[in-house]
This record gives sequence, C-alpha cells and structure tokens, in this order.
Amino acid sequence: MQQNEQLENQPDEQLEKQQKERRDFLGCLGGAIACGAATVVASAASSAAVAATAGGAVPPIPNFDWSKHQWAFGVDAERCIGCLRCVEACKRENNVAPDAHHFRTWVERYVTLEGEEKARIDSQADPANIAASGTDGQYRFANRYKDAKVEKAFFVPKLCNHCTHPACVQVCPTGATYKTEDGAVLIDHTYCIGCQYCVQACPYGARFFNEEKGVTDKCTWCYHRITKGLQPACVEVCPVSARIFGDRNDKQSLISQFIQNHRVQVLRPETGNAPNVFYVGIDKDVS
Amino acid sequence: MPRHIVRLVLIMVGFAVLAYGAKQFFTVDSFYQYGHYRGSSVADIASDKPKYKGTAYCASCHAPQLAEWSNGIHNRPDIGKVVRCEVCHSAGGERDVRGTFEHVSTGPDHPKNLKMVVPKDTRQLCTLCHERMTGRPLQQRQIVVAEHAGTQQCSVCHNPHSPRLNLVSAASTAQAGDAAAGKAKAAACAGCHGAEGVSVNAPGPTLAGQHAAYLHDALKAYIEGTRSDPMMNAGAQGLSDDDAANIAAYYAGVTCVSSLDAAKQATLQDKTTAPKCAACHGADGNSTNPSWPKLIGLSKAYLVNSLKAYKGGARKNGMMAGVVKDMSDADMDNVAAYYANATCK
Ligand code: HEC
Ligand code: HEC
Ligand code: HEC
Ligand code: HEC
Ligand code: HEC
Ligand code: HEC
Repeated sequence: MQQNEQLENQPDEQLEKQQKERRDFLGCLGGAIACGAATVVASAASSAAVAATAGGAVPPIPNFDWSKHQWAFGVDAERCIGCLRCVEACKRENNVAPDAHHFRTWVERYVTLEGEEKARIDSQADPANIAASGTDGQYRFANRYKDAKVEKAFFVPKLCNHCTHPACVQVCPTGATYKTEDGAVLIDHTYCIGCQYCVQACPYGARFFNEEKGVTDKCTWCYHRITKGLQPACVEVCPVSARIFGDRNDKQSLISQFIQNHRVQVLRPETGNAPNVFYVGIDKDVS
Repeated sequence: MPRHIVRLVLIMVGFAVLAYGAKQFFTVDSFYQYGHYRGSSVADIASDKPKYKGTAYCASCHAPQLAEWSNGIHNRPDIGKVVRCEVCHSAGGERDVRGTFEHVSTGPDHPKNLKMVVPKDTRQLCTLCHERMTGRPLQQRQIVVAEHAGTQQCSVCHNPHSPRLNLVSAASTAQAGDAAAGKAKAAACAGCHGAEGVSVNAPGPTLAGQHAAYLHDALKAYIEGTRSDPMMNAGAQGLSDDDAANIAAYYAGVTCVSSLDAAKQATLQDKTTAPKCAACHGADGNSTNPSWPKLIGLSKAYLVNSLKAYKGGARKNGMMAGVVKDMSDADMDNVAAYYANATCK
C-alpha cells in the first residue's frame, strides 16, 4: 500500500478518499484473483497427480489391453480400383448420414490430362459421380475421362491420419477429442460442444460436422472392431487389399511388413502432425 | 472498506466457490483418468457392435453359396483379392437407427428382421469393379460394358458366386481321341443315339457333329457319376477315359448340317429367350466354343428335359444354372421349339 501513502499528500480530500477506496477495492480484487488462481493451480496439480497415478490403468474393454498395441494404416494406391466399397461399408458400419456430403473415409481420383499441369481431382461427392450412381446414398465413379487424352490417372483412398501429434486434439477446448494409448484419435460425443475448431485445425480435412447430433465426427479406425480383433470395415470389404491395417508392435503384422517392404510416405509431413497412415503409389499432387 | 464493496467482494468470492464446486461436481470421475478427457468414453466407443460380420458368419446358414464362392475367382486370398459376401449383399449385422438405406433390401426379411441386399441389377454391381475406367490399375480385369455385354445383365452369363467362365476345359487340352477306335466302340450306342449318332425318335439325343470336348466332358460326367440318367448310366458302363475320348472324336467328326427353318424361327423369335443363349450356343445353335455344346440336332423333348434338369439341379453347371433360374416352363418350351427346328441330315 505504498502508493496510498504517496497519494495522501494530495490536497483534494474528496478525490483522495475516492481514489483510496478504488485502490482498496482493486487490492481486494487482486487478492481474490490470487486466491482463485491458487485454488486452480492446486486443483490442476491434484488432477495432474491423479493422471500420473493412473498411468498404468487400462480402460475396461474385454480381452483388450491398449498398452500392447500401436495401430497403423497403410494405403496402396497402386492397387486401388476406385470401386468405393470402402466408402459404403464405412457409412453402414458407423451410421454416417447416407448422403454425399458426410464421409469418414473417401476416395479421390487424380487425373492429369495431356498438356495440363495440375491434376483434376474428384471424389464420390462430385455431382457428376452422384449422377452416375443415381442417388446420393450410393457411390460410384462416373466414367467421365473415357474419351479424354489422359497422361496419368489413379485413385487414392483417404481417411483420418490418427497423427502422433494431432493438431485437432490440441485445439479442443473441452477434452472431447483425444489420442488413446494404442494410437487412435477418438471423439467423445457427449463432451463435444460442436465448436468445430478441430475441423479447422485438421490439415487433411478428415473431420466433418454431424448436423444431426451437433458434434464433429471422423474415422475411428473402427475402434469398436479393432478392439475385438477385427479389421476396420473398409479394410474388410476392400476387394484388392489396397487398404492395410494392423499393429506395429507385431513385426509380422501386415502393416509392419507393408512399411518394411515399401517406400512409404505420409501426407503433408511439413505440418508436423506425424500421420500414422502410410501411402504407397501417390505423387506430388496428392496432399 | 465501505460495506457495499465488502458485499460485492463477498458475492464474487461466493461465485468463485460455487463455480469451483460446480466444476468438481459436474466433471465425471473418469476425466483425467488417462489424460485430459473422459476416460470412460474409450470403453463406450469400443462397445459398439460390429455390423460387418465376415464370411464365416454367413457360412453357418448359406453353405451352398459359400462353397461356390470359395472355389471361385472372387476368393483369391493368395493374391490378396477377395470379394466377400457383404461387399455385394451389404452388412449382415444390425443396421443403423435410421432404419435401412433406401437402396437396401429387396428380398424377404432375413433373420432378425434384417433385409439383405439381393443385387438384381448386376450391371450396376459388377461394373463398380469391372468397367474399363481411366485410373483403374491394369491388373484388375476390366471390360467395355457395351461391347462385352450389350444390354444384358452380367448374371445371364456369369454366376455371381463364381464368375469366371471356364473356356478351355480339361478335355479339350487333353490329347484328341482316335476316331477310328471310337467308331468301333460306338456301335453299342447306335440303339439309343441312332446310326452315325443322328437320333430319330431314339431315346438318346443326337450326338453327331457335337464338339468333341463337350462330348468327352459329358461322358466323363456319366462315368464319374456327376451326371446321371437311368438309360445312359448303363450306356457309359465300362467305358474308360480313353474310350470316351475316342468316341467323342468319332461323333464330332460325323457331319451334322444345321438347316434352321428361318420362317418358323421368325415367328417364334419374340416369344423366346433365344437371344440370351446366342452368346454361348451361337446364333443358330451352332456354338463355336469347344466346351459349350451345340444345340443343333437336339429334339425338343431333350432340350426341355435338359433345361428342367439344370433348373431342378439334377444337372449341375454354373452357367446354365444362372441362365435357367428365371425361365418359366413356357419360356423353356418356346426356346426348345426354336432350337429344335435345327435338324441334322
Ligand atoms: C460379386 C457379388 C457377390 C458376392 C461376393 C456374393 N454374392 Fe450372393 N448373390 C449375388 C447376386 C448378384 C445374387 C442374385 C442372383 C440372382 O439374381 O439370382 C446373389 C444371390 C445370393 C443369395 C440368394 C439365393 C440365390 O442363390 O439366388 C444368397 C443366399 C447369397 N447370394 C449368399 C451369398 C453368400 C453367403 C456369399 C458369400 C459366400 C455371397 N452371396 C457372395 C452376388 C454376390
Ligand atoms: C442364422 C442363419 C443365417 C445367417 C447367419 C445368414 N443368413 Fe442369409 N438367409 C437366411 C435365411 C433363413 C434366408 C431366407 C430368408 C427368407 O427368404 O426370408 C436367408 C436369405 C438370404 C438372402 C436372400 C434373401 C432373398 O430375399 O432372397 C441373402 C442374399 C442372404 N441371406 C445373404 C446372407 C449373407 C451375405 C450372410 C452373411 C453376412 C447371411 N445371409 C447370413 C439365414 C441366414
Ligand atoms: C468389389 C469389386 C468386385 C465386384 C463387385 C465384382 N468383382 Fe469380379 N473380380 C473382382 C476382383 C478383385 C477379381 C480378381 C481379379 C484378379 O484375379 O486379378 C475379380 C474377378 C472376376 C472375374 C475373373 C476374371 C478373370 O481373371 O478371368 C470375373 C469373370 C468377374 N470377376 C466377374 C464379376 C461379375 C459377373 C460380377 C458381378 C456379379 C463381379 N465380378 C463383381 C472384383 C469385383
Ligand atoms: C453374353 C454373355 C456375357 C455377358 C452378358 C457378360 N459376360 Fe463377361 N464374359 C463372358 C465370356 C464368354 C467371357 C470370357 C471370354 C473372354 O475372356 O472374353 C467373359 C469374361 C469376363 C471377364 C474377364 C475378362 C478378362 O479380361 O479376363 C470379366 C471381368 C467379365 N466378363 C465381366 C462381366 C461383367 C461385369 C458383365 C456385366 C456388365 C459381363 N461380364 C457380362 C460372357 C459374358
Ligand atoms: C439305353 C440307351 C442308351 C445307350 C445304349 C447309350 N445312351 Fe447315351 N444317352 C441316353 C439318354 C437317354 C441320354 C440323355 C440323358 C440325359 O438327359 O441326361 C444320353 C446322353 C448321352 C450323352 C450326352 C449328350 C448331351 O448332349 O449332353 C452322350 C455324350 C452320350 N449319351 C453318349 C453315349 C455313348 C458314347 C454311348 C455308347 C457307349 C451311349 N451314349 C449309349 C441313352 C443311351
Ligand atoms: C454363359 C454361356 C451359356 C449361355 C448364355 C447359355 N448356355 Fe446352355 N450351356 C452352356 C454350357 C457351358 C453347357 C454345358 C453344360 C454341361 O456340361 O452340362 C450348356 C448346356 C446346354 C444344354 C444341354 C445341351 C446338351 O447337349 O445336353 C442346353 C439344352 C442348353 N445349354 C440350352 C441353353 C439355352 C436354351 C440357353 C438360353 C436360354 C442357354 N443354354 C444359354 C452355356 C451357356
């Protein structure tokens, strides 16, 4: 309260009184804030302690211990035939709205025409492709480049990359999205407030807004299947093994072999998210 | 300090305590259990029921389809190419809360009130993977739909559960038989198949001019018991595989000239399903593929009997089973009348 002593020299008593009161008030307020801060720090510390003690705990999933697995996904674009069975299976398995605008996984077609520099990209949500399938609940690529002069063309399946350093988890204000010990990035729909920061943060456009529930949604690698020893639905139905899924802790698993035997790459490594979906057979146009 | 300020501060402190208490109260226990999230949500998410059940699940009730499929080209785990049941028939598990997807379900209810997709429009289904398309890798077998199938459904010629057509049968790659030796053996057959294999009112069908490979296959089927007929079983008794090859060579060499009655055919054409048959048996019943029998020279009664045998399952052939599945008795009668016009001299 040194400042108050200095102010005592001022001639105007009326003003002095007012200012003293204001300073007392601010002082009290400061004290209250300090108190509040102290409790917050204390509670954070205590909850950090809780988290630390829970380090070895495992969620109660029957016959499954997440500390023993490290999931990863492989995409062999050279094998993909663009049949879109994965897209349809994913929708059914995960109750995704059956329209052409909400997808947990999707397939893009990259076509470079002769004399053009950039690839033309379309996915099943393109109007021409919806028209080819007849409804927005079914998916098929229209044979639209049948008569074009094509330099190169290929299909690329896309899905959530389940990054090691996921930007979406960092920006979530409520702890509704998180990374599990075994490597999947999940969304807790009861805690999601639908602010869509994560949709903005994801460099891969893997998240979308589920208007019906008012929450964000995305691929879970079919967490309910992989924890039961099954493959994700998209991998299950792929007729040509363009999608590979498995456990990197198991050196004999398909995914470990895939990464070992191919020159794999990830999408947009420069963002620092460290994706866990590994691609073979794509080129610079794909990001 | 003035009282109104003290009050204000007290209110604020009270509010802070309330807010903190509320946070403690409303934060579920499992928050921070494993990290900055609700720990119990992990098990919640993991507890969802899988909808895609896998082929092993279908096996328990659909053994015939599974057997056909397992031996077919759509089940090649060795090269990582497997088109599973649920790819074409949709998920075998419970469907979503919203009910079914519109395009799902044509057939009657499946167990647990689930409607399985029965793909009627195979032109839509099969072309998802087999239409020739820019960007589709070459190792995937592709067709130009208009050239390959015209306006027909793929299932007219391909059995969806075992789609590869066996063009070159084992018999036609085996060495050709000796027609002279066959002629000697064939004496025993004349009673039922007519002299020189041209059957006129004899119980057995005309054999003259038929493809050797097909005749060989047919005889082998009788010898091995996969095709059965009370009269013909006796006919095939004691024949060795060499005999069969020789006899086949002999009958194939006997000329059988097709003389279709064009006028009669023209009047029947619109009623028959004959255009469906032309792809394999030839436009005039004179097929050019050694494994697919010629229909010329066969009597109407034999043709109808054969078609009924395929439909009833007494004769088993993937291609013909697909063809006759949707044919009524009237259809069979018409198409038999159409081909029965082709006579052999
Ligand atoms: C390539 C796509 C495809 C696959 C794979 C497939 N089916 Fe089918 N299935 C069809 C089509 C097309 C039909 C309808 C045939 C018709 O129109 O008569 C059908 C019909 C059926 C029927 C109805 C009865 C019948 O035979 O007509 C059953 C039962 C069936 N399938 C079971 C299975 C089972 C079990 C599997 C896995 C072992 C399987 N299917 C795999 C395409 C497929
Ligand atoms: C518990 C036994 C059972 C299992 C398991 C089962 N089915 Fe069936 N399925 C049936 C019966 C019974 C019918 C006949 C139902 C009817 O006609 O109403 C049938 C009919 C069908 C049909 C034809 C429907 C129609 O309208 O003609 C298809 C296609 C089919 N099943 C596919 C499958 C596939 C694919 C699976 C595996 C995912 C499967 N089923 C698993 C018992 C089963
Ligand atoms: C989901 C994709 C998919 C669907 C749908 C599909 N197939 Fe296939 N088909 C494949 C694959 C993959 C192969 C294996 C190709 C290979 O051996 O390289 C194959 C092989 C074949 C072959 C054998 C080609 C050869 O090697 O001679 C035929 C014939 C065929 N399919 C016909 C059909 C028919 C008819 C249908 C519709 C009832 C159908 N397919 C539906 C993916 C599919
Ligand atoms: C009129 C009969 C007929 C119809 C209809 C038909 N096919 Fe075929 N298909 C054949 C025959 C015969 C062969 C084998 C001869 C050959 O290799 O060309 C064949 C071969 C194939 C092959 C293998 C081609 C290859 O390169 O080895 C595929 C794939 C195929 N068909 C798909 C289809 C699809 C898809 C449809 C429906 C749009 C269809 N077929 C309709 C008769 C037919
Ligand atoms: C007792 C009368 C009888 C004798 C003897 C007989 N067959 Fe047959 N054969 C039949 C009948 C009846 C059929 C038609 C069976 C059916 O519909 O499956 C037939 C069918 C056939 C077929 C199948 C024709 C087709 O188009 O699919 C061949 C091949 C054949 N006989 C060859 C022979 C040969 C070779 C001999 C002599 C070694 C012989 N048969 C002796 C009565 C006989
Ligand atoms: C996809 C090719 C294909 C088509 C289309 C087809 N068939 Fe066949 N058909 C065959 C084959 C292969 C056999 C030999 C089957 C066997 O060995 O039993 C056969 C056998 C037959 C036989 C028995 C011949 C004999 O000598 O015993 C008759 C009759 C027949 N077909 C009639 C028809 C008719 C009628 C149609 C049109 C409605 C038709 N087929 C369409 C492939 C075909």
